[in-house]
Amino acid sequence: MDTQWRVFEVFHQQTRGEPHVHVGAIHAPDSESAIVMAKEQYGRRQACVSLWVVPSDSIVGTSYNDVDIFEHGTDKTYREAYGYQTTKRVRAQTTKRPKSLREANETGEQS
Amino acid sequence: MKKTFASPDSVSGESRDALIDLIYRLADDDLILGHRNSVWTGLAPILEADIAMSSLAQDEIGQAVAYYRLLHDLGEPDPDTLAFTRSAQDYRCASLTLLDRGDWAFSTVRQYFYDVYKTHRLASLSDGTYAPLAQLARKVRGEQKYHMMHSRMWVSRLGDATDESRERMQRSVDTLYGHALGLFEPTPFEQIIADHGFCTTESGLFETWRDEVHSMLDHAGLTIPGDVTPKHGGRRGQHLPELQLLLDEMQQVYRLEPTAQW
Repeated sequence: MDTQWRVFEVFHQQTRGEPHVHVGAIHAPDSESAIVMAKEQYGRRQACVSLWVVPSDSIVGTSYNDVDIFEHGTDKTYREAYGYQTTKRVRAQTTKRPKSLREANETGEQS
Repeated sequence: MKKTFASPDSVSGESRDALIDLIYRLADDDLILGHRNSVWTGLAPILEADIAMSSLAQDEIGQAVAYYRLLHDLGEPDPDTLAFTRSAQDYRCASLTLLDRGDWAFSTVRQYFYDVYKTHRLASLSDGTYAPLAQLARKVRGEQKYHMMHSRMWVSRLGDATDESRERMQRSVDTLYGHALGLFEPTPFEQIIADHGFCTTESGLFETWRDEVHSMLDHAGLTIPGDVTPKHGGRRGQHLPELQLLLDEMQQVYRLEPTAQW
């Protein structure tokens, strides 16, 4: 008898409206028990509003041998979504910007 | 509409005694079963089951502490003193909770019987008239809902998976059914508890428990043994010797240095 259980991929959603994020995999005999066990395995350490489990063999993926299909033969930087990264970079800068002279004076620090 | 009791000061006399007895039963069942379940940590059949069972144990012990706090508010000793210094005859847990863990089927059936009981108990407490207890019962119903999903999943799988699993499950049902009936042992406080609206009667709880358990076991291909004598005594502090052995182990470290800060 085959005693090896199926493998299910687990996806975790932290708040409603956010995407489900792949967090790992678990062994289970079927999808209902997979959900029950995934709850403790992946839902107990962080906020969670929803879990998905998907049998691993239902997932079809590309092969790393074909990684070249993602490379651009010609310049297509106009297509890359740099805008989002720039936004992130600007936000990161504003949160850790150094104190202004006026703020430093108010707290009695030497500039 | 029954009168509600907003705080510990609002209950007195025999209704206070009845309420305290009820909360001891809730707390002690959870602490002792939580301790029994915790011994599966590292030993359960598979990693996923191990993690889930350990979490159930943490939930139960956490709920026990919450009940002990309610008792402390009613003038009883603090939670640590209650958990770690009482002797067996002071406990009010049912015999179902204190038996050794047995095999996985045994712990599964025990947990299922307990979870159905606990689910209906919490439903009744949530509508009860002692506000602090009703509030706590509503707060832990989410945890209990998961415990129920977990128990039903295991019982329905193991009931008809293989000849061996079915045989082990049936043996556990046969051994544990009388102990499960002991959860509903009548107490001298039953009428006061029902009259004040703290919780429904034990016989009322038993009827809902029996209907649900019988239909589930039937569905799982398991048979309810006929003519079983309920194992009473636990609610009066008369326990099987297993409880003292469990307490000796559980209280060992605390008793070395009762004033130590953790």
